[in-house]
Amino acid sequence: MRRSRVLSTLFKRDFLYTLYSFGYYGALFASFLVSSFILKNFLDATREEDILVSAFPLNYPLYLTLIIISLYLVIVSAISISREREQGTLEVLFYGPVTPSSFLWSKYLKDLSLGILALGFTALYFYVVSVLTNLGFTMGLVRALFMGVFLISCVVSFGLFISSLTGRIRSSIITLIAILGAFLAIQFVYNMLLGIEKESLSPSLLYLRQATAYVFRAINWVSPFAYLSRGLDSVVLENWTLYATHMLYCVVYSLIFVFLSIYAMGKKGVKA
Amino acid sequence: MRRFFILLVVLFGLLLVSGALGAQETPFKEQLVYSLTSFNGSTFSKSFCPQSEDTIYLIANQNSVVSPTKTIVYYWPITRRYMAGFSTLNEKITGKLEILQNGKVIATQEEQKYILYYPKGYWSEKAIMYLDAEADTYYKKYKEAVDAFNQKLREYYQAMERYREALNNFFEEVRRRREAGEEGPLNIPIPKEPQPPAFVDFYSSDPASGFILNLPPGKYEIRLRRDDGTIFEGSEKKVVVFTSRRKGGVGYEIIPGNRWTKKENCDDPSWIIHAVGKNELYFNPYKQEEYNELYYNKLVDPQEIGRIERFKWVHIDPVEGVSLLFGKGKEILQNVEKAPYFVKQIPGPELGYEIIPYDEELQKKGYKPTFESYKVSLSPNLPKTDYQVSVVAQSSGTPEAKSERTIRLLKKENAPYIYIAAFIPLFVGVVTILGRVSKIER
Repeated sequence: MRRSRVLSTLFKRDFLYTLYSFGYYGALFASFLVSSFILKNFLDATREEDILVSAFPLNYPLYLTLIIISLYLVIVSAISISREREQGTLEVLFYGPVTPSSFLWSKYLKDLSLGILALGFTALYFYVVSVLTNLGFTMGLVRALFMGVFLISCVVSFGLFISSLTGRIRSSIITLIAILGAFLAIQFVYNMLLGIEKESLSPSLLYLRQATAYVFRAINWVSPFAYLSRGLDSVVLENWTLYATHMLYCVVYSLIFVFLSIYAMGKKGVKA
Repeated sequence: MRRFFILLVVLFGLLLVSGALGAQETPFKEQLVYSLTSFNGSTFSKSFCPQSEDTIYLIANQNSVVSPTKTIVYYWPITRRYMAGFSTLNEKITGKLEILQNGKVIATQEEQKYILYYPKGYWSEKAIMYLDAEADTYYKKYKEAVDAFNQKLREYYQAMERYREALNNFFEEVRRRREAGEEGPLNIPIPKEPQPPAFVDFYSSDPASGFILNLPPGKYEIRLRRDDGTIFEGSEKKVVVFTSRRKGGVGYEIIPGNRWTKKENCDDPSWIIHAVGKNELYFNPYKQEEYNELYYNKLVDPQEIGRIERFKWVHIDPVEGVSLLFGKGKEILQNVEKAPYFVKQIPGPELGYEIIPYDEELQKKGYKPTFESYKVSLSPNLPKTDYQVSVVAQSSGTPEAKSERTIRLLKKENAPYIYIAAFIPLFVGVVTILGRVSKIER
C-alpha cells in the first residue's frame, strides 16, 4: 500500500513536471511539422489525371511521430534520472521509502502516460489532416495508434535501462543518442539500400547492404524501433494473430528492460 | 577500443578488395550446374543454378524439375551473372538424386520423363507438367495434331494450286466470251478460295527427363549419387521449399488513361488508389499469391537477389467471367464489363495518344485491340471522398474475395493548411502552461 503511494507520488510529480513544461509540446509540434511536410509532398506528388497507389500514407508520418516523441520522453527521463543522481536527490529519496523499483516504475509509467497522451494529440492531428485532405482516418490508423502505445513502451523501457547504467547527464544523453541513433541509422540505411535494384548498386554498396543486413538481423530483437516497424507491418497485413503477438512481444520486451533497469540501478547504487 | 575499430576498418577494406578481385574470375569454366524447370505459381520458369549459388528455391507441393548437367560457365560482368554455354557443352549427368533433411536421406529419386503442355498455345505461357505415361499421351496428342495440321496444310496448298488454276480458267473464259461479243451476265461460277487450316491451338514441349522434386515446405539438401555409389563432386545443393504467405485475393493492374505504357499495380488489399480530379482508369484483375521476395526471385533465377524481409505479390491468372463494380459505400455508380480498347496515336507535333473503344470499323481496317480492360471514369464533379472498386462473378453476382480496393479522391487544394494542424499541441501547451501560471499567481 505504502509502495503504491510512493509510486503514485513520484509518478504525479514527474508527470506534472513534464506536462507543464514547454518541451513536451515543442516535441509534438516538431514531429507534426515533419509529418505535415511529408504529407504535403505526398499530396503534391498526386497529380491531375494520374494516380498514386500507396498503403496507408499516414503510417510513415505516424512512424516518425512515434520516434520523435519516444526519443524526447526517453531523453527527458535520462536527464531527470542523471540530474537526481548528480544532485544527490536520488540518495535522499532512497533513504526514505523510495526503492529503485518504485523509482523506475514511476518513471516508466510517467513516460508511458505522456506517450499515450501524445498519441491522443497525434490522433487529433491526423483527424484534422484527414478532414482537410481526405487522406483517410481509417480503422487501420486507429490500430496503428493503439500499437503505438506498446512501441513507446519498448523505447521508454530501453531508454530507462541505458539511463540506469550511466551516471552523469552528459554521458547518459550521449550514450542514449549514440545507441538509439545507431539503431535508427542501421534500419534506415538497410531499408534504403534494400530499395535500390541490384544493377544500380556498386560492388561496395552491395557488400555494405549485406553487412547491414547481418547487423540488422543481429539488432532485430534488441532495437525498439524494429518492434515499431514490425508492429506497423502487422497493421498493414491485417493479421490479428501477428498484431496480438507483437503486442505481447512489446510487453515482454518492456518488462525485461524495466527489470534489468531496476537490477542495474540496484547494483550501481544512487551515486553518480 | 581504437585498435578494435582499426581492425574493423582493415577487415572491411579486405572484404571490399577481395570482392573486387572475386569479380575478375577466369571467364570460362566447366561446371556441374542444375538446369531448373521450376513451378512459379502460374507456370514454369526455366533457369540454371551455377556453382556460385548454393541454394535452389522451389514452391512447395508442386512438381519442379532439376537436371544436373555439365556445361561451360562464364562470368558476364555487364549483367553481373554467370552464363551457361549449353550450346557448347550440354552433358547430362546420370545417377540418383538423394534428398536429405537434417542430414538424413529421406528419399532417392530416379530420373523421370516429363513434358510441358501449354493448353492455350505456347504464347499463353500457362503450362502444365505431365510425367511418364501421361507425358507420352499428351505429347502423342500434340504430335498427332501437328501431323493432322501438316496434312491439312498440304491439302490446302494443293487446293490453292487448283484454285489458282480455276481462277485463271475463269478469267480466260470471261475474256474469251467477251471477245466473242457476249453481253450481259455470263453466269460462270466464280472459284471459291480455300481457307488455310487453323494451327494447332495447344503446344507440348519435347519429352525430356530430369529429377522431379515435389516436397512439402522446409529446408532440404540434394546430392547426386553416381551408379558406382560415389557422390558427384559439386552436386550438393541446399533446397528451400516455400509456400505463399497469403493467397486467394485479387490484385489489379491499373492503366492510367494518361500513361498507358506505365502501368500501376494495386495488389495488396491495404493499398489505396489516390487520385485528384478527372481520371480514366483501366483495371485488369488477377488472382494472386504473396511470396517472400528473396525466395521467389531466386526461384525464377537463382542468381537474382531479393530481400528476405519483404514479400511480393505474384499475379497467377486473370480473373475471368466477372464484372467490375465502382461505387460509394453500398451505392453502385458504375457496373463495368470488360471491353477491348485501341490506343490511337494522335498525328501532328503534339506527340500524344488517345485510348478509344475498339469497334467494328477498326476491325475492318485490320487493327487489333491494344488491350482489354475494365474502364472506370472518374468525373471531375465527383465529391472528394472514398470510393470502392471490386469484382463480382457475372453468373452469381458473388463478390470475389479480397477484391475490394479504395479509390480515394484527395482534396489537394487544402494541402497547405495541414501545416496549421501541426500547431495544435503548441496551442494546447500555451493554454495549459498559462493556466498553470495564473493558478500559481492566484
